[in-house]
Amino acid sequence: MLLFLCLIMLSNKVFAQTEDSTLSSQTLKKLSLEELMNVEVTSLSMRPEKLTEVASAIQVITGEDIHRSGVTRLPEAMRLASNLQIAQANSHDFAITARGFNGLPAAGGILANKLQVTIDGRSVYTPLLGGVYWDVQNVMLPDLDRVEVVSGPGGTLWGANAVNGVINVVSKTAKETQGLYVSGASGSFLQDQLSMRYGFRLDSNIFMRVYAQRFDQRNTILSNGNSAQDAWNMTQGGFRMDYYMSKANTLTVQGDVYAGNENDSAKLNVTNGQNILARFTHDFSPKSNLTIKAYYDRTYRTTPNQLPQPFNYELNTFDLDIQHHFVIGKRQNILWGVGYRFQKDNASQSFTPLSRDMPLYSTFIQDEISLVPDRLKLTIGSKFLNNVFTGFEYQPSARMTFTPNKRHTVWTAVSRAVRIPSRFDSDITITPIKFTSEKVIAYELGYRVRPVDQLTLSFSTFYNRYYDLRSLDSFPSVTTPIVVANSQMAESYGFEFSGNFQATDWWRVRGGYTFFSKRIWSTSSGVFPLSVEFEGVDPKNIVSLQSIMDLSNNLQFDLTGRYVDVLPQTIASPLVPSYYTFDARIAWVFKAFEISLVGQNLLQNQHTEVGTSQIPRTVYGKVVCQF
Amino acid sequence: MSVLRKRIHRYFLFMLFIYSSTIVCAQAPTTREYQIKAAFIFNFTQFTEFPAGSFSSPQAPFVIGVLGKNPFGSYLEQTVAGETVNGHPLVIQYYSNTDDIKGCHILFINLTDANKIEDAIDKLEGQNILTVGDAPYFLNNGGMIRFYTKNNKMQLQINLEAAKAANVVISSKLLRLAEIFTPAK
Repeated sequence: MLLFLCLIMLSNKVFAQTEDSTLSSQTLKKLSLEELMNVEVTSLSMRPEKLTEVASAIQVITGEDIHRSGVTRLPEAMRLASNLQIAQANSHDFAITARGFNGLPAAGGILANKLQVTIDGRSVYTPLLGGVYWDVQNVMLPDLDRVEVVSGPGGTLWGANAVNGVINVVSKTAKETQGLYVSGASGSFLQDQLSMRYGFRLDSNIFMRVYAQRFDQRNTILSNGNSAQDAWNMTQGGFRMDYYMSKANTLTVQGDVYAGNENDSAKLNVTNGQNILARFTHDFSPKSNLTIKAYYDRTYRTTPNQLPQPFNYELNTFDLDIQHHFVIGKRQNILWGVGYRFQKDNASQSFTPLSRDMPLYSTFIQDEISLVPDRLKLTIGSKFLNNVFTGFEYQPSARMTFTPNKRHTVWTAVSRAVRIPSRFDSDITITPIKFTSEKVIAYELGYRVRPVDQLTLSFSTFYNRYYDLRSLDSFPSVTTPIVVANSQMAESYGFEFSGNFQATDWWRVRGGYTFFSKRIWSTSSGVFPLSVEFEGVDPKNIVSLQSIMDLSNNLQFDLTGRYVDVLPQTIASPLVPSYYTFDARIAWVFKAFEISLVGQNLLQNQHTEVGTSQIPRTVYGKVVCQF
Repeated sequence: MSVLRKRIHRYFLFMLFIYSSTIVCAQAPTTREYQIKAAFIFNFTQFTEFPAGSFSSPQAPFVIGVLGKNPFGSYLEQTVAGETVNGHPLVIQYYSNTDDIKGCHILFINLTDANKIEDAIDKLEGQNILTVGDAPYFLNNGGMIRFYTKNNKMQLQINLEAAKAANVVISSKLLRLAEIFTPAK
């Protein structure tokens, strides 16, 4: 049926893929101006112009990197950023963090609470446990422009909970995704995945796309060889409209709807959600612009297996953000903004109160001062926020960038960031002890170099000190013998190394190495030993490498390999051995068609990344056609 | 099994070694960038109008010139091969000196020094030439269309006043997709 549909489309009109890195001059000149403007300038995934100016440990994964890796879902794609620590807990859950604190392994990744994640500016961090439910963060991967992964505090710009890092998922504009895209995949672990997008023009300056996708994922395997019974599926649809109202004004409206069913040891979890976002930008002049963004997000899930009775949770978020950027004189670039977020949730049990109104007011200002033009830049700023749990908080940072010439950048930063209490921290145990914010002071130093045009390398190193870290303390009460408190401190240090190497015009290699070490200690005597593991059991060493190869104009061969170090045994979880594994993709591209065969986790029959479920080796085939 | 493991280990070390080595000999990645620019320049021939007097005859060639070092390799030739604009065959010419420029319609100025760009453009005054470049201050120095990359995509910036002064009409379709540059007064 799918093939038939593709054939019909093929007979109508064919034009080459604009993402293809081996376009000939003959193909290029046939493209319209709009299409030409969508062609990627370099197949280098990093954007040196921009990256060399940023004083942070940022890694960028492009849509092309994701496409060529053969991953099928957003959390899997995050593995392409070597500054992230990622562990797949079961068929649907992932633990993802930067610079450690990935949560208790047995909790299956839902306790990684120090990483802020936004999708097109919409925060997907949940205040329930703190962290991100990755199972419901599904974007249409072909419509993804890039993922920016910043390790290190991002609190000054991104607000609370960006303690250890920020992930910004950025989708392409509707203008960049014109035409029809249809793909179908099927395999041994990924049972099936169907995606469809249609991008069209409503008017000369209004672009639109609509999409729908559905996938079914099979079970992972328990250590005794039995099925973990965690197969699941997700159906999602959405749209994006970009209206170029005038040279100075742009309006974007986008939204998604999703619903899924997840087996959890044979019981069924239900997830669903809806969101809509509008963003208006106005340019007063090339030196001054304004962005107004508003969104509404509703997300709902049931978790029947957690407790004797099903736990249902609904969260509604409304957010309004205004940002203004302007230049003073020749030396100062000011960015400031105000934000209001209102969250209201509803838990079916365990939390007191069951439903909470969580208003959040925030404002920030950042000044980028050029101390020596084109050489030395100082960026200082702070976010101030007022939240319902702890009241006033501040998150300042100072960053210095030294660019002796275009090829070298040295940067250093000191920042303070906070994690405001989650509902779990604040409302699960009711005692006179009040949970306050966790704080970090982070010191960073980085060096970015482009020794030759084909090669970019980035090094960053950090030392973090955490205050008022969460702990589980004993409490002298028969009804509440345990209390969530702030009786721990921690320090962590490490370094991240990443690179991108365009070896030839048909071969590119990218990847990195991350070393991480942390120490947690308690500041009072009543702390349960479990408290240490509760915050995270993290691998010391991680290596990730991706090779992207065009064997000919029609043939692509890609490899993605990774190494993750051992997770030591704790009182609450068994040792997880270190592992190497790799994915391979081979694809044949002909006109509007792409047929690919992908193998994932090929090195072992199955391997454990965290907890008890084992991720099987898998192979799937995929057909794409786009017009 | 352990042999395989060792091999994998060696493979990883080898890949790491590639990363740390800075001795690289490979084709310059800029070629693709200029391949795209060549395609844009070809597009400009269809979205600009030159005064009738700029062609000596209906069969006279439409000249695309490159001033300074040629960054295109053979991409311009490959792109315009066999193409005509309103009956004018497309030809490519390379100039090392501004004084050599005669009968050119679109000129790509591959100079980076602001003073040199300004000098070149001053000397072209009175001719109907669409000047194209990619230097950061190209439009400030009197150039008409500037290429720049944003999010790894090629973007255009147009100095309308400069184009008007040279009697070159840029179609609204092209203008709609470009950023309009306003010179600082």
